[in-house]
Amino acid sequence: VSRPTRAFAPLSSRGRRPVAAILATFALSSALSVGISIWSTSHSQHQAAVFQIAARQRTLAERYVSEVLIARAGGRADPGAIGGALERSAAVLLDGGQAPAIAGDDDETMLAAQHGAVARPQLEQARRLVHDLAATGAAILRHEPVARIRPTAHERLPADPLLRLRVLAALASNVSLNAARSIAVADDRNISDLITLQVVLGVAGLLLSLVLGWALIRTTRRQTAHFRSLVTSSTDHVIVFGRGGCRYVSGSVCRMTGLSEEELLASGILDAVHRDDRDAVWAAAETGEPHELVFRAWDAAGACHHLEAHVTDLRHDRQIRGVVFNARDVTERLRLEEELLRQAFHDSLTGLPNRALFRDRLEHALARAGRSGETHAVLLVDLDGFKQVNDSLGHDAGDALLTDVASRFEETLRASDTVARLGGDEFAILLEDADERQARQAADRVLASLRNEPAVVAGRELGLSASIGIVTDAGGAACGEALLRDADIAMYAAKEGGRGRYEVFRAELARDLGELLGIEHELRLALDRGEFTLHYQPTIDLASSRVVGLEALLRWRSPTRGNVPPARFIAVAERTGLIVELGAFVLREACTQAAAWRREFPDARPPVTWVNVSVRQLTAGGFDATVRSVLAETGLPADLLGLEITETVLVESGSGGERARTELEALHADGVRIAIDDFGVGFSSLGQLRHFPIDLIKVDRSFVQGSETGTTDATITKNLIGLAHALEVVALAEGIESHAQLHALRELGCDQAQGFLFAQPAPPAEIRGLLARGSIAADASDAADAVA
Amino acid sequence: LTEGSERPLKPSGVRVDSDAVLVAVLRWTLAAALLACGLTACGSGHTEAAATTTVQVKEKDFRIVVTPSRARAGLVEFVVKNHGPDDHELIVVRARNAKLPMRHDGMTIDEAALEPRTVATLEPDGPGTTRRIRVQLSRGRYELFCNMAGHYMGGMHAFLVVS
Repeated sequence: VSRPTRAFAPLSSRGRRPVAAILATFALSSALSVGISIWSTSHSQHQAAVFQIAARQRTLAERYVSEVLIARAGGRADPGAIGGALERSAAVLLDGGQAPAIAGDDDETMLAAQHGAVARPQLEQARRLVHDLAATGAAILRHEPVARIRPTAHERLPADPLLRLRVLAALASNVSLNAARSIAVADDRNISDLITLQVVLGVAGLLLSLVLGWALIRTTRRQTAHFRSLVTSSTDHVIVFGRGGCRYVSGSVCRMTGLSEEELLASGILDAVHRDDRDAVWAAAETGEPHELVFRAWDAAGACHHLEAHVTDLRHDRQIRGVVFNARDVTERLRLEEELLRQAFHDSLTGLPNRALFRDRLEHALARAGRSGETHAVLLVDLDGFKQVNDSLGHDAGDALLTDVASRFEETLRASDTVARLGGDEFAILLEDADERQARQAADRVLASLRNEPAVVAGRELGLSASIGIVTDAGGAACGEALLRDADIAMYAAKEGGRGRYEVFRAELARDLGELLGIEHELRLALDRGEFTLHYQPTIDLASSRVVGLEALLRWRSPTRGNVPPARFIAVAERTGLIVELGAFVLREACTQAAAWRREFPDARPPVTWVNVSVRQLTAGGFDATVRSVLAETGLPADLLGLEITETVLVESGSGGERARTELEALHADGVRIAIDDFGVGFSSLGQLRHFPIDLIKVDRSFVQGSETGTTDATITKNLIGLAHALEVVALAEGIESHAQLHALRELGCDQAQGFLFAQPAPPAEIRGLLARGSIAADASDAADAVA
Repeated sequence: LTEGSERPLKPSGVRVDSDAVLVAVLRWTLAAALLACGLTACGSGHTEAAATTTVQVKEKDFRIVVTPSRARAGLVEFVVKNHGPDDHELIVVRARNAKLPMRHDGMTIDEAALEPRTVATLEPDGPGTTRRIRVQLSRGRYELFCNMAGHYMGGMHAFLVVS
């Protein structure tokens, strides 16, 4: 397993080894050279001493011979001392020690033992000869025959004692000198070898140092090239500022700006820097502060880049002597950050500020208002009928509509106003420094911008309107949350008040809404608990007195409120939208009951069950599907179900009205009967009435009840009946309470009638009895009278 | 006291002449070449061997041994080996009946007087060395001796008879 190694270590750590090796090599070879020199010098000094002692042996041997001759001749001499010195010197030369001093001639000299292969045997021989010499001398002095002395050095000596003595002296001195010479020769040879070794060592050390130095230079060059290429090929921009401006730019700077290095140096770099950032860049280049700097620069194509520079002050670094910018292109990052910020605070569909940003601006505005005393207004805008657009034309159409509306708002309002989309079809507008009057004007402009031109969505023209709630913080000390809540209440009131209008928040609105919401809550509970029941009021054919229809009427018996009149809770249900659920309940209940009766009384001509349908039920969409499924579930034939609608359905504008009419036409085609309820009090267009499939017109009770006294009402009633007949539909008079009214209506040619005179609305159990009889027994006589 | 037996001694000490260094360096660098030459030269010289009489001369303290002690007239090669321990030289002179003339010290031979009948001279050399010298010898007795101080008197002389 090989250890991972770094491809390129900085020279400071990697270069130490070769440098150390070079130094070590030099040190080692120098130390060796010096050591060898010192050793050879001391050795040579020692050899000089050896040579001196060896040379002295010759002198001593000659003096010994002379002293022996003198002594033998009776002269004063001390050959013994000389002989002893000779022998001691010979021993010292061989084995080392202190050479004897001869009568102050010499200093005492220390010698080392000799180990030379040539010199040592010679010195041994010299010692033997000296020994023989001394022994021979001693024998001569004692007048003993010298022949008795056995030579120890293989010499064959003449018989004459004196000649023998002289020969031995010559031999001893000759051998000593030869030994000294051998030592000198060996020494010379050693020194030659040592010097050769020194030269070789020096040369080898030099060569090794050169190789190491060369390796070091190579490494340095390679690393320099490596780091240079790292710097030059890096996408980061390196710029060094020193005295006189820019002193270095990396290749990436040249590539980005499209300028050459010469053009960028000195103050040329500033040409590429955005005008507004030049001072900051120049200041950082001169002071090394701040350490982080973002500035803009132009690239070759003229595009602006944001560069984030790390500024390092290396003016005290002797290698650099400048301020270094390490800059990185952060344009894309900044753009992304901006985009993320924008997304976080803007609605992605319309590009308008979202609720969070609106709240933020509102709070800021309110904070300013607290200081300056100016007032701000908030407009909460809710598009009317947007849900229907979304449901019928799809979400794409809804989105397109919202985008259209958003642009209208922006065109209408001042640039200083904030338009935000809070969600769905709800928009909020913040009018800064505006009072209630200005807010009303703004609301008018907004409504006008919607009303004046229909929106074209999915190839269809849609009339636009909105309900606007206005609130101002004139009261002071309002918080954004409270303002938005109040604006919401005012908007709700505007919607209740008939849509396409605005309402300024007042305290009463909140109270009304509170009550409304309270009843709505109870209604929902009542629906869940089954507190609603249906009563039925028969309709009579005036010609035959037969029961031809049963109108289903909703009754609420509240455990807390008692019997609540329909006029009270139906209105609330209409306003809150609960009427849709209530209507569905009535439809299902009535159909179930009618189907049950039909099975119980398989009459040939069963009565038609009439159900009141609210405008909101119809415009909510999908009503036809509901009716069909209920009919299918209950098994009631379609022609035994009648729907009572009001005239407003016929004139309801917008997609909801159109769809309502389309669905009704489809149901009528299925056989379901349709009646216009409360006819005469609405604003029916006769043209629409003519084209709409209707089976029955119910003349409003106000005309009927006045027909017996007032001539105007009688005339109107007559005309309404005439109109019904002209449209070839059945005319029914509501609210007949007296025989006089009955009589008058018969005179006028009315077909059917309904009222207390015949029967009050009654629970199903009572109706069952009526159905069993088949006709209205209570007023049969009256009817007979009338006929008669 | 003696002369001729001494040679100038080299001064001892650090001073080393540059020739010696140069020679040493050359010796180191040319060792391989010399070795190769020596190997190739090994087998030569047999053509003259038949005509040459080789005489081994063994020198030591203090004796000269000549083997064989008789040789045929003609080219004679002396192979002189010094067994030491001292340095020795070799001088070959035609012998006469009279003793060799001595210098006035009474200890060394008067080489100058022997000059006319000297046939070979080998200067002194250290122990362990072997030297060769060829001389044309006619019939007669020849004396071999070492004339370093005291060596002749110490016993270093021998005879070779050429017939």
